[in-house]
Amino acid sequence: MASVIYHPAYRQYSFGEHHPFSPVRVDMTLDLLRELGAPVRPIAPEPATREEILEVHADYYVRRVEALSAGEEVPDARDYGLGTPDTPAFRGMDEAARWHVGGTLAGARRLCEAGEKRVLQLGGGLHHARRNFASGFCVYNDLALGILALLRHGLWVAYLDVDVHHGDGVQQILYDEGRAMTISLHESGKFLFPGTGDVHELGTGVGRGLKLNVPLEPMTEGRSYLEVLDAVVPRALERFRPGVLVVQAGADAHFEDRLADLMLTTRDYEAVFRRILGWADAFTSGRVLFTLGGGYSFRASARVWALLYLLVHDLPVPAEIPEAWRERWRAAAGEELPARFHDPEPSGEAVANRDEITRRNRQAAERLLEAAVPYWGGR
Amino acid sequence: MLVRDIMRRPAIAVPSDTTLEAAYRTMQREGIRHLPVEDGGRLVGVVTDRDLRLATSALSPSPRPPSHPVADVMTRNPETADPEDAVEDAARTMRRKKIGCLPVLEGGRLAGIITGLDLLDAILKMTGVDKPSGRIEVRLADHPGELARLTGFFGERGLNVHSILTHPETATSVRVVLRVGSIETRRLAEELRVSGFDVVWPPEKPWPR
Repeated sequence: MASVIYHPAYRQYSFGEHHPFSPVRVDMTLDLLRELGAPVRPIAPEPATREEILEVHADYYVRRVEALSAGEEVPDARDYGLGTPDTPAFRGMDEAARWHVGGTLAGARRLCEAGEKRVLQLGGGLHHARRNFASGFCVYNDLALGILALLRHGLWVAYLDVDVHHGDGVQQILYDEGRAMTISLHESGKFLFPGTGDVHELGTGVGRGLKLNVPLEPMTEGRSYLEVLDAVVPRALERFRPGVLVVQAGADAHFEDRLADLMLTTRDYEAVFRRILGWADAFTSGRVLFTLGGGYSFRASARVWALLYLLVHDLPVPAEIPEAWRERWRAAAGEELPARFHDPEPSGEAVANRDEITRRNRQAAERLLEAAVPYWGGR
Repeated sequence: MLVRDIMRRPAIAVPSDTTLEAAYRTMQREGIRHLPVEDGGRLVGVVTDRDLRLATSALSPSPRPPSHPVADVMTRNPETADPEDAVEDAARTMRRKKIGCLPVLEGGRLAGIITGLDLLDAILKMTGVDKPSGRIEVRLADHPGELARLTGFFGERGLNVHSILTHPETATSVRVVLRVGSIETRRLAEELRVSGFDVVWPPEKPWPR
Protein backbone atom coordinates (compact mmCIF):
# COMPACT_ATOMS: atom_id res chain seq x y z
CA MET A 1 0.00 0.00 0.00
CA ALA A 2 3.03 2.27 0.11
CA SER A 3 6.07 2.63 -2.10
CA VAL A 4 9.50 3.89 -1.11
CA ILE A 5 11.80 5.40 -3.70
CA TYR A 6 15.55 5.42 -3.07
CA HIS A 7 18.85 4.80 -4.79
CA PRO A 8 22.34 4.71 -3.26
CA ALA A 9 23.39 7.16 -6.00
CA TYR A 10 21.53 9.85 -4.00
CA ARG A 11 24.62 9.82 -1.78
CA GLN A 12 26.60 11.48 -4.56
CA TYR A 13 24.66 14.68 -3.85
CA SER A 14 27.19 15.81 -1.27
CA PHE A 15 28.87 19.18 -0.85
CA GLY A 16 31.73 17.92 1.28
CA GLU A 17 32.40 16.38 4.63
CA HIS A 18 31.50 19.34 6.82
CA HIS A 19 28.54 20.57 4.81
CA PRO A 20 25.19 20.35 6.65
CA PHE A 21 23.30 18.75 3.73
CA SER A 22 24.93 15.40 4.43
CA PRO A 23 23.97 12.05 2.88
CA VAL A 24 24.80 10.52 6.27
CA ARG A 25 21.39 11.72 7.49
CA VAL A 26 19.61 9.31 5.16
CA ASP A 27 22.17 6.54 5.79
CA MET A 28 21.33 6.84 9.47
CA THR A 29 17.60 6.77 8.74
CA LEU A 30 17.85 3.61 6.63
CA ASP A 31 20.04 1.89 9.19
CA LEU A 32 17.74 2.86 12.04
CA LEU A 33 14.76 1.34 10.24
CA ARG A 34 16.77 -1.84 9.61
CA GLU A 35 17.68 -2.07 13.30
CA LEU A 36 14.03 -1.54 14.17
CA GLY A 37 13.06 -4.54 12.07
CA ALA A 38 11.44 -2.45 9.34
CA PRO A 39 14.02 -2.66 6.58
CA VAL A 40 13.42 -0.39 3.61
CA ARG A 41 12.86 -2.19 0.31
CA PRO A 42 12.92 0.69 -2.11
CA ILE A 43 12.03 1.01 -5.74
CA ALA A 44 15.10 2.23 -7.64
CA PRO A 45 14.50 5.28 -9.84
CA GLU A 46 16.46 6.41 -12.87
CA PRO A 47 18.18 9.77 -12.85
CA ALA A 48 16.11 12.45 -14.57
CA THR A 49 17.18 13.23 -18.10
CA ARG A 50 18.50 16.59 -19.27
CA GLU A 51 15.24 17.10 -21.20
CA GLU A 52 13.20 16.48 -18.07
CA ILE A 53 15.27 19.05 -16.15
CA LEU A 54 14.69 21.62 -18.90
CA GLU A 55 10.97 21.61 -18.24
CA VAL A 56 11.71 23.89 -15.31
CA HIS A 57 15.31 25.01 -15.57
CA ALA A 58 16.83 27.35 -18.15
CA ASP A 59 19.21 25.78 -20.63
CA TYR A 60 21.92 28.38 -19.86
CA TYR A 61 21.68 27.42 -16.17
CA VAL A 62 21.83 23.67 -16.82
CA ARG A 63 24.87 24.18 -19.05
CA ARG A 64 26.67 25.86 -16.18
CA VAL A 65 25.76 23.07 -13.76
CA GLU A 66 27.07 20.55 -16.30
CA ALA A 67 30.32 22.45 -16.82
CA LEU A 68 30.98 22.71 -13.07
CA SER A 69 30.04 19.06 -12.75
CA ALA A 70 32.73 18.20 -15.30
CA GLY A 71 35.29 20.21 -13.33
CA GLU A 72 35.40 23.12 -15.79
CA GLU A 73 35.86 26.73 -14.80
CA VAL A 74 32.66 28.80 -14.97
CA PRO A 75 33.66 32.41 -14.32
CA ASP A 76 30.10 33.66 -13.79
CA ALA A 77 28.92 30.63 -11.77
CA ARG A 78 28.17 32.76 -8.70
CA ASP A 79 25.67 34.85 -10.67
CA TYR A 80 23.66 31.63 -10.81
CA GLY A 81 24.12 30.75 -7.14
CA LEU A 82 26.63 28.04 -8.00
CA GLY A 83 30.04 27.65 -6.41
CA THR A 84 28.93 29.63 -3.35
CA PRO A 85 29.63 28.72 0.28
CA ASP A 86 26.07 27.32 0.56
CA THR A 87 25.98 25.47 -2.74
CA PRO A 88 29.58 24.66 -3.70
CA ALA A 89 30.33 23.05 -7.03
CA PHE A 90 31.55 19.44 -7.04
CA ARG A 91 32.43 16.89 -9.66
CA GLY A 92 29.35 14.96 -10.71
CA MET A 93 26.92 17.51 -9.23
CA ASP A 94 24.71 17.54 -12.34
CA GLU A 95 24.17 13.78 -12.30
CA ALA A 96 23.80 13.68 -8.52
CA ALA A 97 21.10 16.34 -8.66
CA ARG A 98 19.37 14.53 -11.55
CA TRP A 99 19.20 11.38 -9.39
CA HIS A 100 17.17 13.23 -6.77
CA VAL A 101 14.85 14.66 -9.44
CA GLY A 102 14.53 11.20 -10.97
CA GLY A 103 13.43 9.84 -7.61
CA THR A 104 10.67 12.42 -7.22
CA LEU A 105 9.54 11.84 -10.83
CA ALA A 106 9.48 8.09 -10.14
CA GLY A 107 7.33 8.82 -7.11
CA ALA A 108 4.92 10.85 -9.25
CA ARG A 109 4.73 7.93 -11.73
CA ARG A 110 3.96 5.44 -8.96
CA LEU A 111 0.93 7.57 -8.07
CA CYS A 112 -0.27 8.11 -11.63
CA GLU A 113 0.54 4.88 -13.40
CA ALA A 114 0.70 2.23 -10.69
CA GLY A 115 -2.23 3.60 -8.73
CA GLU A 116 -0.14 3.77 -5.57
CA LYS A 117 -1.61 5.81 -2.71
CA ARG A 118 1.35 6.64 -0.51
CA VAL A 119 4.85 7.24 -1.85
CA LEU A 120 7.88 8.17 0.20
CA GLN A 121 10.86 9.45 -1.77
CA LEU A 122 13.86 9.19 0.57
CA GLY A 123 15.64 12.08 -1.12
CA GLY A 124 14.82 15.23 -3.04
CA GLY A 125 12.89 18.07 -1.44
CA LEU A 126 15.21 20.65 -3.02
CA HIS A 127 12.68 23.43 -2.68
CA HIS A 128 14.97 26.47 -2.94
CA ALA A 129 16.21 25.83 -6.50
CA ARG A 130 14.97 28.43 -8.99
CA ARG A 131 14.70 28.22 -12.77
CA ASN A 132 18.12 29.74 -13.20
CA PHE A 133 19.56 29.98 -9.71
CA ALA A 134 20.90 27.49 -7.19
CA SER A 135 20.14 28.38 -3.59
CA GLY A 136 20.24 26.92 -0.10
CA PHE A 137 21.86 23.58 -1.07
CA CYS A 138 19.40 23.07 -3.96
CA VAL A 139 20.50 22.74 -7.61
CA TYR A 140 17.48 21.29 -9.45
CA ASN A 141 13.93 21.62 -8.18
CA ASP A 142 12.69 18.03 -8.01
CA LEU A 143 9.44 19.14 -6.36
CA ALA A 144 8.37 21.57 -9.08
CA LEU A 145 9.27 18.96 -11.72
CA GLY A 146 7.33 16.27 -9.86
CA ILE A 147 4.31 18.55 -9.48
CA LEU A 148 4.34 19.39 -13.21
CA ALA A 149 4.47 15.65 -13.99
CA LEU A 150 1.41 15.10 -11.79
CA LEU A 151 -0.41 18.00 -13.47
CA ARG A 152 0.26 16.43 -16.86
CA HIS A 153 -1.53 13.34 -15.64
CA GLY A 154 -4.53 15.49 -14.83
CA LEU A 155 -4.07 15.51 -11.06
CA TRP A 156 -4.35 18.91 -9.40
CA VAL A 157 -1.69 19.22 -6.75
CA ALA A 158 -1.64 20.68 -3.27
CA TYR A 159 1.96 21.12 -2.18
CA LEU A 160 2.59 21.31 1.56
CA ASP A 161 6.02 22.38 2.77
CA VAL A 162 6.79 21.80 6.46
CA ASP A 163 10.51 22.46 6.10
CA VAL A 164 11.48 25.28 8.47
CA HIS A 165 12.56 27.42 5.49
CA HIS A 166 10.10 28.97 3.05
CA GLY A 167 9.56 26.82 -0.06
CA ASP A 168 10.48 29.76 -2.26
CA GLY A 169 11.65 27.94 -5.38
CA VAL A 170 8.54 25.79 -5.69
CA GLN A 171 6.30 28.79 -5.03
CA GLN A 172 8.08 30.96 -7.58
CA ILE A 173 8.07 28.34 -10.33
CA LEU A 174 4.34 27.69 -9.81
CA TYR A 175 3.41 31.28 -8.96
CA ASP A 176 0.93 31.69 -11.83
CA GLU A 177 -0.22 28.05 -11.94
CA GLY A 178 -3.92 27.65 -11.28
CA ARG A 179 -3.84 23.87 -10.91
CA ALA A 180 -1.29 23.77 -8.10
CA MET A 181 -1.75 25.17 -4.62
CA THR A 182 1.38 25.69 -2.53
CA ILE A 183 1.25 25.95 1.26
CA SER A 184 4.40 26.66 3.24
CA LEU A 185 4.73 26.87 7.02
CA HIS A 186 8.11 28.23 7.99
CA GLU A 187 10.05 30.42 10.36
CA SER A 188 9.36 34.00 9.28
CA GLY A 189 11.59 35.39 6.55
CA LYS A 190 12.18 38.39 8.77
CA PHE A 191 14.43 36.08 10.75
CA LEU A 192 15.34 33.11 8.59
CA PHE A 193 16.59 32.33 5.09
CA PRO A 194 15.43 32.83 2.34
CA GLY A 195 13.58 35.92 3.60
CA THR A 196 10.40 35.44 1.58
CA GLY A 197 7.16 33.64 2.46
CA ASP A 198 5.08 36.50 3.82
CA VAL A 199 1.28 36.25 3.83
CA HIS A 200 0.93 38.78 1.03
CA GLU A 201 2.72 36.48 -1.46
CA LEU A 202 -0.48 35.03 -2.93
CA GLY A 203 0.42 34.16 -6.53
CA THR A 204 -0.45 35.88 -9.80
CA GLY A 205 -2.95 35.41 -12.63
CA VAL A 206 -4.98 32.21 -12.30
CA GLY A 207 -2.61 31.20 -9.47
CA ARG A 208 -3.75 34.15 -7.33
CA GLY A 209 -4.91 33.07 -3.88
CA LEU A 210 -3.38 29.61 -4.33
CA LYS A 211 0.10 30.33 -2.95
CA LEU A 212 -0.25 30.30 0.83
CA ASN A 213 2.37 31.19 3.39
CA VAL A 214 2.27 31.07 7.16
CA PRO A 215 5.36 32.81 8.56
CA LEU A 216 5.96 31.68 12.14
CA GLU A 217 7.72 33.34 15.01
CA PRO A 218 11.11 32.05 16.13
CA MET A 219 10.71 29.61 19.07
CA THR A 220 7.28 28.48 17.89
CA GLU A 221 6.36 25.24 19.67
CA GLY A 222 4.30 22.31 18.51
CA ARG A 223 1.01 23.40 20.01
CA SER A 224 0.98 26.71 18.15
CA TYR A 225 2.36 25.10 14.99
CA LEU A 226 -0.44 22.54 14.94
CA GLU A 227 -3.02 25.20 15.66
CA VAL A 228 -2.16 27.23 12.55
CA LEU A 229 -1.70 24.08 10.47
CA ASP A 230 -5.23 23.03 11.42
CA ALA A 231 -6.59 26.53 10.80
CA VAL A 232 -5.22 26.78 7.26
CA VAL A 233 -4.64 23.44 5.57
CA PRO A 234 -7.96 21.56 5.80
CA ARG A 235 -9.87 24.68 4.83
CA ALA A 236 -7.64 25.28 1.81
CA LEU A 237 -7.78 21.64 0.70
CA GLU A 238 -11.53 21.53 1.05
CA ARG A 239 -11.93 24.46 -1.32
CA PHE A 240 -9.15 23.56 -3.76
CA ARG A 241 -9.99 19.84 -4.03
CA PRO A 242 -6.59 18.58 -5.18
CA GLY A 243 -6.04 15.14 -6.67
CA VAL A 244 -2.84 14.54 -4.77
CA LEU A 245 -0.74 15.97 -1.94
CA VAL A 246 2.98 16.56 -2.39
CA VAL A 247 4.72 17.07 0.93
CA GLN A 248 8.23 18.39 1.54
CA ALA A 249 8.98 16.81 4.91
CA GLY A 250 12.00 18.79 6.05
CA ALA A 251 13.02 17.82 9.58
CA ASP A 252 14.59 21.16 10.41
CA ALA A 253 11.65 22.61 12.34
CA HIS A 254 12.92 20.34 15.15
CA PHE A 255 14.19 22.15 18.24
CA GLU A 256 17.69 20.70 17.92
CA ASP A 257 18.18 21.88 14.36
CA ARG A 258 21.42 23.75 13.80
CA LEU A 259 20.13 26.18 11.16
CA ALA A 260 16.81 27.40 12.50
CA ASP A 261 14.77 28.39 15.53
CA LEU A 262 11.48 26.49 15.70
CA MET A 263 10.75 24.13 18.60
CA LEU A 264 9.02 21.05 17.23
CA THR A 265 9.67 17.72 18.95
CA THR A 266 9.42 14.28 17.35
CA ARG A 267 5.97 13.99 18.95
CA ASP A 268 4.93 17.16 17.15
CA TYR A 269 6.27 15.74 13.90
CA GLU A 270 4.26 12.59 14.51
CA ALA A 271 1.16 14.73 14.94
CA VAL A 272 1.95 16.67 11.76
CA PHE A 273 2.49 13.50 9.69
CA ARG A 274 -0.62 11.82 11.04
CA ARG A 275 -2.68 14.87 10.13
CA ILE A 276 -1.26 14.92 6.60
CA LEU A 277 -2.10 11.24 6.08
CA GLY A 278 -5.59 11.95 7.38
CA TRP A 279 -6.02 14.90 5.00
CA ALA A 280 -4.85 12.71 2.11
CA ASP A 281 -7.56 10.20 3.05
CA ALA A 282 -10.15 12.97 3.36
CA PHE A 283 -9.33 15.06 0.28
CA THR A 284 -7.16 13.14 -2.23
CA SER A 285 -8.35 9.52 -1.97
CA GLY A 286 -5.24 8.88 0.09
CA ARG A 287 -2.79 9.97 -2.63
CA VAL A 288 0.31 11.59 -1.15
CA LEU A 289 3.95 11.89 -2.19
CA PHE A 290 6.45 12.73 0.53
CA THR A 291 10.00 13.88 -0.10
CA LEU A 292 12.72 14.62 2.41
CA GLY A 293 14.23 18.10 2.72
CA GLY A 294 16.23 20.08 5.23
CA GLY A 295 17.12 18.68 8.64
CA TYR A 296 20.54 19.42 10.04
CA SER A 297 20.58 17.67 13.37
CA PHE A 298 21.68 14.05 13.01
CA ARG A 299 19.91 13.24 16.28
CA ALA A 300 16.63 14.66 15.04
CA SER A 301 16.52 14.00 11.29
CA ALA A 302 17.09 10.23 11.44
CA ARG A 303 14.24 9.86 13.92
CA VAL A 304 11.85 12.24 12.15
CA TRP A 305 12.30 10.49 8.82
CA ALA A 306 12.19 6.98 10.32
CA LEU A 307 8.97 8.11 11.99
CA LEU A 308 7.62 9.26 8.62
CA TYR A 309 8.44 5.86 7.12
CA LEU A 310 6.72 4.01 9.96
CA LEU A 311 3.57 6.15 9.78
CA VAL A 312 3.35 5.92 5.99
CA HIS A 313 3.42 2.13 6.40
CA ASP A 314 0.99 2.13 9.35
CA LEU A 315 3.68 0.58 11.54
CA PRO A 316 3.90 1.18 15.28
CA VAL A 317 6.40 3.70 16.61
CA PRO A 318 8.81 1.96 19.00
CA ALA A 319 9.81 3.45 22.32
CA GLU A 320 13.53 2.70 22.24
CA ILE A 321 16.37 3.42 19.85
CA PRO A 322 18.56 0.29 19.45
CA GLU A 323 21.88 0.50 21.24
CA ALA A 324 23.71 -0.95 18.23
CA TRP A 325 22.56 1.94 16.04
CA ARG A 326 23.59 4.53 18.60
CA GLU A 327 27.04 2.98 18.87
CA ARG A 328 27.48 2.72 15.12
CA TRP A 329 26.61 6.32 14.29
CA ARG A 330 27.90 8.21 17.31
CA ALA A 331 31.23 9.06 15.68
CA ALA A 332 29.68 10.13 12.37
CA ALA A 333 27.12 12.28 14.19
CA GLY A 334 29.77 13.74 16.44
CA GLU A 335 27.48 13.55 19.44
CA GLU A 336 25.59 11.13 21.70
CA LEU A 337 22.48 9.76 20.04
CA PRO A 338 19.18 9.57 21.90
CA ALA A 339 18.11 6.34 23.59
CA ARG A 340 14.41 7.00 23.18
CA PHE A 341 12.59 7.33 19.90
CA HIS A 342 10.59 10.32 21.07
CA ASP A 343 12.03 13.45 22.62
CA PRO A 344 11.16 14.06 26.24
CA GLU A 345 8.27 16.47 26.63
CA PRO A 346 9.67 20.01 26.74
CA SER A 347 10.01 21.39 30.25
CA GLY A 348 8.20 24.53 29.18
CA GLU A 349 10.89 26.81 30.56
CA ALA A 350 12.74 27.38 27.31
CA VAL A 351 10.16 29.71 25.78
CA ALA A 352 9.55 32.80 27.87
CA ASN A 353 7.10 34.66 25.61
CA ARG A 354 4.95 31.72 24.55
CA ASP A 355 1.64 33.59 24.66
CA GLU A 356 2.94 36.36 22.44
CA ILE A 357 4.32 33.82 19.94
CA THR A 358 1.01 31.97 19.88
CA ARG A 359 -0.87 35.21 19.34
CA ARG A 360 1.42 36.34 16.51
CA ASN A 361 1.18 32.98 14.73
CA ARG A 362 -2.59 32.95 15.05
CA GLN A 363 -2.65 36.45 13.60
CA ALA A 364 -0.48 35.36 10.64
CA ALA A 365 -2.92 32.54 9.84
CA GLU A 366 -5.88 34.91 10.15
CA ARG A 367 -4.27 37.50 7.88
CA LEU A 368 -3.44 34.83 5.34
CA LEU A 369 -7.01 33.51 5.24
CA GLU A 370 -8.41 37.02 5.11
CA ALA A 371 -6.28 37.75 2.05
CA ALA A 372 -6.61 34.40 0.26
CA VAL A 373 -10.17 33.23 0.88
CA PRO A 374 -11.79 35.88 -1.38
CA TYR A 375 -9.93 34.27 -4.32
CA TRP A 376 -11.44 30.88 -3.58
CA GLY A 377 -15.00 32.09 -4.17
CA GLY A 378 -15.36 30.83 -7.72
CA ARG A 379 -14.15 27.35 -6.94
CA MET B 1 18.73 56.89 -2.60
CA LEU B 2 17.90 60.09 -4.43
CA VAL B 3 14.61 61.80 -5.26
CA ARG B 4 15.46 61.08 -8.91
CA ASP B 5 15.31 57.33 -8.17
CA ILE B 6 11.81 57.31 -6.73
CA MET B 7 9.97 60.26 -8.32
CA ARG B 8 7.03 59.81 -10.70
CA ARG B 9 7.67 61.28 -14.11
CA PRO B 10 6.28 63.05 -15.91
CA ALA B 11 4.12 64.75 -13.31
CA ILE B 12 0.57 65.36 -14.44
CA ALA B 13 -0.01 69.13 -14.16
CA VAL B 14 -2.78 71.59 -14.98
CA PRO B 15 -2.87 75.35 -15.77
CA SER B 16 -4.16 77.73 -13.10
CA ASP B 17 -7.38 78.54 -14.97
CA THR B 18 -8.47 74.88 -14.77
CA THR B 19 -11.86 74.59 -13.10
CA LEU B 20 -12.25 72.73 -9.82
CA GLU B 21 -14.46 70.24 -11.62
CA ALA B 22 -11.87 69.58 -14.35
CA ALA B 23 -9.12 69.20 -11.74
CA TYR B 24 -11.31 66.76 -9.82
CA ARG B 25 -11.92 64.73 -12.97
CA THR B 26 -8.21 64.63 -13.76
CA MET B 27 -7.46 63.31 -10.29
CA GLN B 28 -10.17 60.69 -10.56
CA ARG B 29 -9.04 59.58 -14.01
CA GLU B 30 -5.35 59.34 -13.10
CA GLY B 31 -5.86 57.94 -9.60
CA ILE B 32 -3.85 60.74 -8.00
CA ARG B 33 -4.34 63.23 -5.19
CA HIS B 34 -1.84 65.98 -6.04
CA LEU B 35 -1.73 68.24 -9.09
CA PRO B 36 1.10 70.69 -9.71
CA VAL B 37 -0.23 73.85 -11.32
CA GLU B 38 1.83 75.27 -14.19
CA ASP B 39 1.47 78.51 -16.17
CA GLY B 40 3.68 79.05 -19.19
CA GLY B 41 6.03 76.24 -18.17
CA ARG B 42 6.48 77.66 -14.67
CA LEU B 43 5.29 75.96 -11.49
CA VAL B 44 2.89 78.34 -9.73
CA GLY B 45 1.19 76.08 -7.19
CA VAL B 46 -0.10 72.70 -6.06
CA VAL B 47 -3.73 71.72 -5.72
CA THR B 48 -4.74 68.61 -3.79
CA ASP B 49 -7.90 66.57 -3.50
CA ARG B 50 -8.19 67.99 -0.01
CA ASP B 51 -8.12 71.57 -1.38
CA LEU B 52 -10.95 70.65 -3.71
CA ARG B 53 -13.02 69.01 -1.00
CA LEU B 54 -12.60 71.91 1.42
CA ALA B 55 -13.31 74.53 -1.26
CA THR B 56 -16.54 72.87 -2.39
CA SER B 57 -17.77 71.58 0.97
CA ALA B 58 -21.18 72.67 2.21
CA LEU B 59 -19.41 73.21 5.52
CA SER B 60 -17.19 75.88 3.98
CA PRO B 61 -18.22 79.46 4.90
CA SER B 62 -18.14 80.31 1.20
CA PRO B 63 -18.37 77.16 -0.95
CA ARG B 64 -16.90 77.58 -4.45
CA PRO B 65 -18.85 76.41 -7.51
CA PRO B 66 -17.36 73.63 -9.71
CA SER B 67 -16.61 76.22 -12.41
CA HIS B 68 -14.20 78.13 -10.14
CA PRO B 69 -10.51 78.14 -11.19
CA VAL B 70 -7.95 76.19 -9.13
CA ALA B 71 -5.79 79.36 -8.94
CA ASP B 72 -8.05 80.48 -6.12
CA VAL B 73 -7.69 77.38 -3.89
CA MET B 74 -4.19 76.09 -4.70
CA THR B 75 -1.12 76.45 -2.48
CA ARG B 76 1.07 79.11 -4.05
CA ASN B 77 4.88 78.92 -4.04
CA PRO B 78 4.86 75.29 -2.92
CA GLU B 79 7.80 73.46 -1.39
CA THR B 80 9.78 71.65 -4.09
CA ALA B 81 12.54 69.08 -4.33
CA ASP B 82 15.58 68.76 -6.56
CA PRO B 83 16.20 65.44 -8.36
CA GLU B 84 19.60 65.22 -6.64
CA ASP B 85 18.15 65.65 -3.14
CA ALA B 86 18.48 62.67 -0.85
CA VAL B 87 15.18 60.91 -0.24
CA GLU B 88 15.52 61.50 3.49
CA ASP B 89 15.76 65.26 2.92
CA ALA B 90 12.53 65.18 0.95
CA ALA B 91 10.94 63.10 3.70
CA ARG B 92 12.08 65.60 6.34
CA THR B 93 10.62 68.54 4.42
CA MET B 94 7.29 66.80 3.94
CA ARG B 95 7.18 65.79 7.58
CA ARG B 96 8.08 69.24 8.90
CA LYS B 97 5.61 71.05 6.67
CA LYS B 98 2.99 68.29 7.02
CA ILE B 99 2.49 68.11 3.26
CA GLY B 100 1.72 65.14 1.06
CA CYS B 101 3.87 65.83 -2.00
CA LEU B 102 6.83 67.69 -3.44
CA PRO B 103 6.95 68.72 -7.10
CA VAL B 104 10.47 68.04 -8.41
CA LEU B 105 12.07 70.89 -10.37
CA GLU B 106 15.02 70.42 -12.69
CA GLY B 107 16.42 73.64 -14.18
CA GLY B 108 13.30 75.50 -13.11
CA ARG B 109 11.02 73.07 -15.03
CA LEU B 110 8.66 70.50 -13.52
CA ALA B 111 10.43 67.14 -13.92
CA GLY B 112 8.36 64.91 -11.65
CA ILE B 113 6.66 64.57 -8.30
CA ILE B 114 7.07 62.51 -5.14
CA THR B 115 4.35 61.74 -2.63
CA GLY B 116 4.21 60.11 0.77
CA LEU B 117 3.37 56.82 -0.92
CA ASP B 118 6.57 56.99 -2.97
CA LEU B 119 8.48 57.36 0.30
CA LEU B 120 6.73 54.26 1.66
CA ASP B 121 7.74 52.40 -1.51
CA ALA B 122 11.32 53.52 -0.88
CA ILE B 123 11.19 52.03 2.62
CA LEU B 124 9.83 48.75 1.26
CA LYS B 125 12.57 48.69 -1.35
CA MET B 126 15.31 49.38 1.17
CA THR B 127 14.08 46.74 3.61
CA GLY B 128 12.84 44.24 1.05
CA VAL B 129 14.17 40.84 0.10
CA ASP B 130 14.79 40.37 -3.60
CA LYS B 131 17.42 37.62 -3.33
CA PRO B 132 17.39 34.51 -1.12
CA SER B 133 19.19 35.64 2.00
CA GLY B 134 19.38 35.30 5.76
CA ARG B 135 19.27 37.99 8.40
CA ILE B 136 22.15 38.77 10.71
CA GLU B 137 21.92 41.58 13.25
CA VAL B 138 25.02 42.90 14.99
CA ARG B 139 25.64 45.58 17.63
CA LEU B 140 28.71 47.59 16.67
CA ALA B 141 30.72 50.13 18.62
CA ASP B 142 30.19 53.50 16.94
CA HIS B 143 33.86 53.70 15.90
CA PRO B 144 35.59 54.24 12.56
CA GLY B 145 36.34 50.98 10.77
CA GLU B 146 33.87 48.78 12.65
CA LEU B 147 31.43 48.45 9.76
CA ALA B 148 34.35 47.75 7.40
CA ARG B 149 35.54 44.98 9.75
CA LEU B 150 32.05 43.48 9.70
CA THR B 151 31.60 43.56 5.92
CA GLY B 152 35.18 42.30 5.52
CA PHE B 153 34.19 39.21 7.53
CA PHE B 154 31.64 38.30 4.86
CA GLY B 155 33.88 39.29 1.96
CA GLU B 156 36.62 36.95 3.19
CA ARG B 157 34.16 34.07 3.12
CA GLY B 158 32.96 34.80 -0.39
CA LEU B 159 29.52 35.74 0.89
CA ASN B 160 27.38 38.36 -0.78
CA VAL B 161 25.84 41.03 1.45
CA HIS B 162 22.58 41.98 -0.27
CA SER B 163 21.57 44.83 2.03
CA ILE B 164 22.68 46.65 5.15
CA LEU B 165 20.50 48.78 7.40
CA THR B 166 22.00 50.62 10.34
CA HIS B 167 20.44 52.73 13.01
CA PRO B 168 21.88 54.35 16.13
CA GLU B 169 21.10 52.44 19.34
CA THR B 170 22.87 54.27 22.15
CA ALA B 171 25.33 57.16 22.12
CA THR B 172 28.15 54.67 21.59
CA SER B 173 26.62 51.83 19.58
CA VAL B 174 24.77 51.18 16.34
CA ARG B 175 22.60 48.24 15.29
CA VAL B 176 23.40 46.79 11.89
CA VAL B 177 20.96 44.48 10.08
CA LEU B 178 22.48 42.62 7.15
CA ARG B 179 20.86 40.34 4.61
CA VAL B 180 23.52 37.85 3.61
CA GLY B 181 23.36 35.37 0.75
CA SER B 182 23.54 32.30 2.96
CA ILE B 183 21.23 29.82 4.67
CA GLU B 184 23.88 29.23 7.34
CA THR B 185 23.39 32.35 9.42
CA ARG B 186 23.69 30.41 12.69
CA ARG B 187 27.15 29.14 11.84
CA LEU B 188 28.14 32.64 10.68
CA ALA B 189 26.82 34.08 13.93
CA GLU B 190 29.00 31.65 15.89
CA GLU B 191 32.04 32.64 13.88
CA LEU B 192 31.22 36.32 14.29
CA ARG B 193 31.06 35.84 18.06
CA VAL B 194 34.44 34.11 17.99
CA SER B 195 35.75 37.13 16.07
CA GLY B 196 34.50 39.37 18.90
CA PHE B 197 31.28 40.70 17.38
CA ASP B 198 28.17 41.25 19.51
CA VAL B 199 25.59 39.29 17.50
CA VAL B 200 21.94 40.06 18.31
CA TRP B 201 20.37 37.72 15.70
CA PRO B 202 20.45 34.76 15.40
CA PRO B 203 20.79 34.25 19.17
CA GLU B 204 22.54 31.35 20.81
CA LYS B 205 20.17 28.49 21.56
CA PRO B 206 19.31 28.22 25.22
CA TRP B 207 20.20 24.52 25.35
CA PRO B 208 23.37 22.62 24.47
CA ARG B 209 23.30 20.83 21.18
